[in-house]
Amino acid sequence: MALTRRELLKSGAAGALSLLLPIGNGARAAVVSQATRPPELNEVNDWIWIGPDNRVIIGVSQCEVGQGIYTGLASVVAAEMDADWERVSVRFVTGRDAYRQSSGGEPFPQQFVAASTSMTQFHERTRLAGAQARDLFIRAAARHWQVGADTLRTHKGTVVDRIHNRTITYGQLIPRIRELALNPHPRLKSRGEEHQTGMIGRPLPRVDTPEKVDGSAIFGIDITLEDMLTAVPWMGPSLNGRLGALRNEAEIRAMPGVVDLVRSRHWSTMNMVKRDADFSPNTVLVVAKSFWQAKKAADRLDVEWIYGENDNFSSQTLNEDNRQALARNQPIIATDRGDAPGAIAAAKESERYHEARYQTEYVTHATLEPCNGTCLVEANRITVWGPFQGQDLTRIVLAKMFGLKPEDVTLNNTYLGGSYGRKYLPDAVMHAATASQATGKPVKVVYPRDIDIRHGYYRPGELAHYQAVLKPDGYPQALRAHCVGHGLFAQLHQHRVEELGGWDETMVECLYNTRYAIPELRVENTLVPQPISLSFLRGVGSVASLFCLESFISELSYKAGIDEYQYRYHLLRDAPEMQRVLEATANKANWSAPLPENHYRGLAVNIWVARDEAFVSYVALALEIAVNGSDYQVTRAICGIDCGKVINPNLIRCNIEGGIGFALTGAWYSHLHFEQGGVVESNFDDYGLLQLHEMPEVEVVILESDRPPQGCGEIATAVVAPALASALHKATGRPWRDLPLPRRLS
Amino acid sequence: MKFILNGKAVRFDGEADTPLLWVIREHFQLTGSKFGCGIGACGACTVHVDGEAVRSCCYPLRLVEGCHVVTIEGLGAARRHPVQQAWIDEDVPQCGYCQSGMIMAVSAALAQKPRPTEQQIIRQISNLCRCATYHRIRAALKRLTQEPEV
Repeated sequence: MALTRRELLKSGAAGALSLLLPIGNGARAAVVSQATRPPELNEVNDWIWIGPDNRVIIGVSQCEVGQGIYTGLASVVAAEMDADWERVSVRFVTGRDAYRQSSGGEPFPQQFVAASTSMTQFHERTRLAGAQARDLFIRAAARHWQVGADTLRTHKGTVVDRIHNRTITYGQLIPRIRELALNPHPRLKSRGEEHQTGMIGRPLPRVDTPEKVDGSAIFGIDITLEDMLTAVPWMGPSLNGRLGALRNEAEIRAMPGVVDLVRSRHWSTMNMVKRDADFSPNTVLVVAKSFWQAKKAADRLDVEWIYGENDNFSSQTLNEDNRQALARNQPIIATDRGDAPGAIAAAKESERYHEARYQTEYVTHATLEPCNGTCLVEANRITVWGPFQGQDLTRIVLAKMFGLKPEDVTLNNTYLGGSYGRKYLPDAVMHAATASQATGKPVKVVYPRDIDIRHGYYRPGELAHYQAVLKPDGYPQALRAHCVGHGLFAQLHQHRVEELGGWDETMVECLYNTRYAIPELRVENTLVPQPISLSFLRGVGSVASLFCLESFISELSYKAGIDEYQYRYHLLRDAPEMQRVLEATANKANWSAPLPENHYRGLAVNIWVARDEAFVSYVALALEIAVNGSDYQVTRAICGIDCGKVINPNLIRCNIEGGIGFALTGAWYSHLHFEQGGVVESNFDDYGLLQLHEMPEVEVVILESDRPPQGCGEIATAVVAPALASALHKATGRPWRDLPLPRRLS
Repeated sequence: MKFILNGKAVRFDGEADTPLLWVIREHFQLTGSKFGCGIGACGACTVHVDGEAVRSCCYPLRLVEGCHVVTIEGLGAARRHPVQQAWIDEDVPQCGYCQSGMIMAVSAALAQKPRPTEQQIIRQISNLCRCATYHRIRAALKRLTQEPEV
């Protein structure tokens, strides 16, 4: 039953809300409240509901952040159950154990989207759910017709009896399925049967596209409830200070539309992990009847700001701290094979020695939909609406804030207008809860852009020193890498750092476990804690660590006088899966053919081993640039990937194309500066994003393999900067070792 | 303050310094136009005022007195506008947040006389997409500029 948006938004306060997206050409996208779900829709299992009109609702527990998972996982269920795709709707589902996972380093099962694991983690269970439904309908039809189940087939939402030339729809079998138990071990389709459905291995269009082109898709910021107030946070100029007096409180309270000023705490990551017990208010929520009234009042607010004792840092001091830590040379060893330091010391004065120092910077998510969240706090009950990436974390945190149980928190997920990790953290809805408690009304908190950028949870930069000794044939005998900086896991998951003896896996990702055949390898890490909150950001540590590793490999190939493709191919002899992807990429890029004048290209590869080896994906990228004086354009990006079984090549391409553009933003523009303990940048005019005219032509080469589906949401992000740096090196004759890379060549 | 919003005469009596975006989103509850930056830098709030693409997050309300304002909701019935159709054909959106503004910017650009070329539009559109769906936006633009006038 499709409701209009206005009805939806009104009904939202009363009950759980979810998204329903009818699939099919020309079908009108609608959003339906779960509370008004027609009772004739029958639950088959945790993932499937069916109506007598043969309408099928498929539940997807992985929120849609743009990665296409509403389409991907729904098609896995639909193919296995032989649903009629045109009659399928997708609904976000939440709050059951079936929807929880514990990948990505999380300590206990929770519902969330992270670490590119949705397809890998949920492919099997959703496939099983589809097979269970199909098995159920076949047995129901056999009972209905009193024939043997093995004589029946399924096709597009019907059971077919070829012998007697008759069919019956799944919907018509509803009375019969109630008599039967689910089979825990239904037969799964063969590869051929899956392909015959037209839903697996085919570029099925996204189910969310129609409502994203007509403005009807509901994001968190679009939530409107009866009696709702809007709050805009005021936050201080530094990251670790606290509120003093509100000097003009009376004046602000008298401004039009202003309802309340509420002191709140913007949690640091250290607050979240209970390693900092200072919960002094550091935020004023200006609550008003409309966003604009709240924003105007927040801008006029005059607050006495008490700087924290840690707030005396700047970009300069952070960099200096890293330099000193590198110079002290007292690292924790992450990987130690052979005697790399010995080999390097012995050859340091020789022609065969090479070293380089790389630096990367703090960056932020800058989701286009700023962080926001809506909350209504009532006696013993909390209801939230918003763009949540971590559903259980949100429930747990809010329940703790109010002394309730997670089940007392009703959560309604909207589309996420970008997240890239950011909206896993529930800070915005925590503020909304604080304001709702104070005012007794539902409150939507919306961060203005400057708050979103200046009070985020960032990805840290790092400083790295690489050294190598080459054999007479030009390939490395020994490599030593020392990575220094503020570590994500050292702050967020300290136990994982302790388990490893003191090194942070996020700082040496794709490096400590490199598959390059280097006989002697030493990977080292020095942690430099800095008073800045960190979190996951698409690509996580690999964007920095792979930039350094792959740039260094390119440099070694130049030093050896060997083409960088040949160099990598040879060094990857122990990783034939990676060699296959590299070769296919080079072929597609015409790597051996000469380029036109003023065109250059660079290469990078990555074996993406997800946290706890949840999956492994292989990626290679060749970038071409065209130089015109001091200007240059990236003209082509050729990306080869092996992410296992291909569910939907359209979605894989989306993730690679977008991943490359996302990473070009990072390679060219992303750089947070700090002064007096705060972030300097505030908006897209000083924290720029890639623009349309800067986007290269992207060609994606998908190499299917017989492994289960592996992740592809982040694998393109780390290879872009080193491939670009390598092309720039060839264009200019000098290495480019710092991120961001220059947008113009001087 | 009176103007025409998606073909209907409307009136807004709130604070005169409210940017057009918030009047559209909060007063008229048309939430397809998005807030991204508040300084006209990202274009997520793009709407048409008398056929011109404007960034409504910092567009003064007094400038729309008596004007025709068109938002994504009023662009075309049942997603039949050629730009929307091209977006569907190329399956452009990822998170989708910027796409209303992107479509409004492109539809205004294509309506210029003479119609700009594909390359001119690529240079002209400065709306930001954090998911970087630009590859497919360019494919959609190629499709649109190869078609007869829209």
